[in-house]
Amino acid sequence: MIVRQPPVLRATGLAKSFGHVQALRHGELTVHAGEVVALVGDNGAGKSTLISCISGAHLPDAGEVRVDDRPMPLGSIKAAMEHGIATVYQGLAMAPDLSVAENLFLSCELRRPGLLGRLGLLDKKAMRERAWELMDSLGITTLQDVTLPVGDLSGGQRQVVAVARAVSRAGRLVIMDEPTAALGARQSQMVIETIRATRDRGLGVVLISHDLPRVLEVADRIVVMRLGRVVADLPARELKIGQIVALMLGEQNDPREESLPA
Amino acid sequence: MTATQPTLRAPSNRARAGALMRSTPAYIVVALVALVVVFTIISPEGRFLDATNLQAVGRNSAGLVLLAVGLTFVLGAGHIDLSVGATLVLSSVVAGTVAVDIAGPPSASGAFPSAGPAIAVAALAAVVVGGIAGLVNGLLVTKLKVNSFVVTLGTMGVATGAAQVLTNGSNVAGIPPDVQTSFGLNSIAGIPLPLVLAVVVALVAGVVLSQTSAGRHALAIGSSSDGAMRAGVNVQRSTIAVFVISGLMAGIAGFLDITRFGTTAISGHETTMLQALSAVIIGGTSLFGGRASVLGSVLATFIPTMLLAGFVMVGVSSFYQNIAIGAVLIIAVWLDQLRGK
Repeated sequence: MIVRQPPVLRATGLAKSFGHVQALRHGELTVHAGEVVALVGDNGAGKSTLISCISGAHLPDAGEVRVDDRPMPLGSIKAAMEHGIATVYQGLAMAPDLSVAENLFLSCELRRPGLLGRLGLLDKKAMRERAWELMDSLGITTLQDVTLPVGDLSGGQRQVVAVARAVSRAGRLVIMDEPTAALGARQSQMVIETIRATRDRGLGVVLISHDLPRVLEVADRIVVMRLGRVVADLPARELKIGQIVALMLGEQNDPREESLPA
Repeated sequence: MTATQPTLRAPSNRARAGALMRSTPAYIVVALVALVVVFTIISPEGRFLDATNLQAVGRNSAGLVLLAVGLTFVLGAGHIDLSVGATLVLSSVVAGTVAVDIAGPPSASGAFPSAGPAIAVAALAAVVVGGIAGLVNGLLVTKLKVNSFVVTLGTMGVATGAAQVLTNGSNVAGIPPDVQTSFGLNSIAGIPLPLVLAVVVALVAGVVLSQTSAGRHALAIGSSSDGAMRAGVNVQRSTIAVFVISGLMAGIAGFLDITRFGTTAISGHETTMLQALSAVIIGGTSLFGGRASVLGSVLATFIPTMLLAGFVMVGVSSFYQNIAIGAVLIIAVWLDQLRGK
């Protein structure tokens, strides 16, 4: 039995509309340290909107996000980052013309020591070395050269860089939106290993994925969304793929609700 | 470091030297040397290589260098600034008017007793006007979210019109000639002072673009605005900053204009923006953002000024300069695309 600290993340009552479309009606998510929570749902269920509200990319119309039981300002990526939340987006959020090392340190650049650093000059050598150390520590061997532009990398390599960047920046929680989409089996497995390494560092992980077999392989808890609402939040070991699909499609209600006294 | 780590960690010095030889600035240096050689051979008595001629080329390039430096930031950040020529004119008009107002009429001997302070305040006024013009562009692009092509096409008209309204369309007369004699026509070690100023500014700008966070952020938003934003880059601030830099450069260039001619040149800058823009693109900066080279831009600005000087010297109409630059622009971009494939 794990002694439960306050969760690293507790998001409640999040709602977000885009014009007339209510993408998120009631978003809720709780993540503990060292826990992988998978967020699943059909396209348009509101998964990406929910994590965009948590990561600060969207300002929700309503709701609250608490990190370590402290309220976090909403609608600011900077604030979310300062609270230890880092996100790997579906679009990867990379600058393709900049190098791997430059992307890893984008907006968190290292400066030279002394006067030159105070004048704003970057320590490119240190950033390259730290980039290699980071790749090593995550067991990433697919990259040959951190000075290559990210635009020259394969899809899998870009994904690995994006995950490495998020892990290096996250103090509390890493959010990954479809990290294995469009990847081959071997590279998907590598990302799953990186997710485990991230959890073992004591970080919370939120994983959005359609790849249900892999989700069940790595997740501790499954949160199912449908039509902008969270409809189920269950331990992964109690679930089978068929049940998850049924929940996603609305063919089955949360089993807990059925078993709970009225 | 694990044993399985690939060995290709960083490019070797030899690989770097090879990359340098194949870089755009290297091609431009070759083109410039070729221009000098050709014009020296075909000019009467090889006079193209005369110090006076080269000085004139340098003097004529100074303002263009500054505009190109500013545009390098704007294009690198994925935007465009069509208003730099108009901002140059407006800045020079304001600076000229300020100089005349402060200096007052000349004494009986023709000297302007307070020429020094007048020129200093005029220089400051030019820079401030340029900075404000850039700030307005940046705010319109980021706050109203109007495309920078449209915004700066609009402010180009506004700045040109404002300059004409201020002066009723005629150039500012009565500026103390000290502005030419003490600075504009002066040299250090044979190098025209305006060019020295422009090159120093360009050096600082080059370091800012390639060696500081501000430069990385500008290129990051040019490469992927959304990606940069999600990586934590303050996209609005960076965007405003590149337009302010561009405006400041146009402001300084406006002041240099006065030091060169002793008056304003309201109708003399119709093609200036296009020349600077062409130089930036020839210099290897991507029209679509993400890639930018201050060195390439600065070197490429000498292509139009050398062509003009060469044509004049060998007796070809200066109108051919525009034709030649147009052709060079298209060929340079085409070659760049070939290399990228």
